[in-house]
Amino acid sequence: MIRKEAISIVAEKIGKQPIISANGFISRDLFEVCDKNSNFYMIGSMGLASSIGLGVALKNTKKKIFVFDGDGNILMNLGSLITIGTTKPENLVHIIFDNTSHESTGGQPTATDKIQLSKIAKSVNFKVFQVKTKKQLVKILQKINLIPGPIMLIVKIENGGIISKRINIESTEIKNRFMRSLKK
Amino acid sequence: MKELTQKQVFDYLFNNGIENFVGVPDSTMKHFIDQGFKKNKILITTKEEEAIGIAAGMSLSKSDSLVFMQNAGFANSLSTITSLVQLYQIPMIFLIGWRGFLKNDAPEHTKIGKIQPKLLQTLSLQSKILNEKNWKAACNWALKLIKEKKPCALILKRDFID
Repeated sequence: MIRKEAISIVAEKIGKQPIISANGFISRDLFEVCDKNSNFYMIGSMGLASSIGLGVALKNTKKKIFVFDGDGNILMNLGSLITIGTTKPENLVHIIFDNTSHESTGGQPTATDKIQLSKIAKSVNFKVFQVKTKKQLVKILQKINLIPGPIMLIVKIENGGIISKRINIESTEIKNRFMRSLKK
Repeated sequence: MKELTQKQVFDYLFNNGIENFVGVPDSTMKHFIDQGFKKNKILITTKEEEAIGIAAGMSLSKSDSLVFMQNAGFANSLSTITSLVQLYQIPMIFLIGWRGFLKNDAPEHTKIGKIQPKLLQTLSLQSKILNEKNWKAACNWALKLIKEKKPCALILKRDFID
């Protein structure tokens, strides 16, 4: 499964619920497969998707908040897992599309094939799930819908694939439409 | 800044609409943070950038935040300020402890203490230095900018040596 396929499956399943999506190819894929007002596309500030997601989750306890993250992104901000694990937002679902590489910058390796991110997340109070196939992904998305978070879902994906177009919405418009969507 | 004034600054901001106080502690503002703990309003993060991310998420949810940090952490946060706070125009108040303000502060603070005013200026991040006399006016200035959806910084001098 390539990243764009995985993102497409997850985005379709979660519908109009809010997504904070990490900078780089992840946001570009999401923009192309399922653009909507409740997607907050990060352009810069690598590593902070889960922190922004935590802030949104703590203030919108009746909504489920999804974070679309990459392995390079979360390795840059592991401290975020500590803060999520101690504030324990039940409505936060942290999805990591893991291709063990910094694909947006040319495919340089990350360390997620040499360490166990799932164990780190478990030790800081996440409920952790890991999938490799499309079938498993569809099944697990139904399951996590029924249990309280914080949840981490690691989706193992292949390196390479299609490069999606850049996001052509102004940053302030990304913010404004996201804020309007939260009010509903 | 005196203990009582620091507590007054916290109470004033809290009573005037700042709902979240997120950051990494600095001894310069110990009493401000203590007062926040008493009100159960403090969230301590592992790094300053993380605090800015959380505050941004809260701001997107229409809940105003203050992010507190030492100026060492401010230096850590430059890219987050430019590519998140300023790029998306997300309002928040930074409370920054000015280490290296006194010439005989610990050596690791000398350089950053010296360049801090220039850094703020280069970033075009509007700021005011708090003191015993102007704190209320400075807080009102910051609260007004937040209402106008603009980020800003309040600076607290480290005016003692321990």
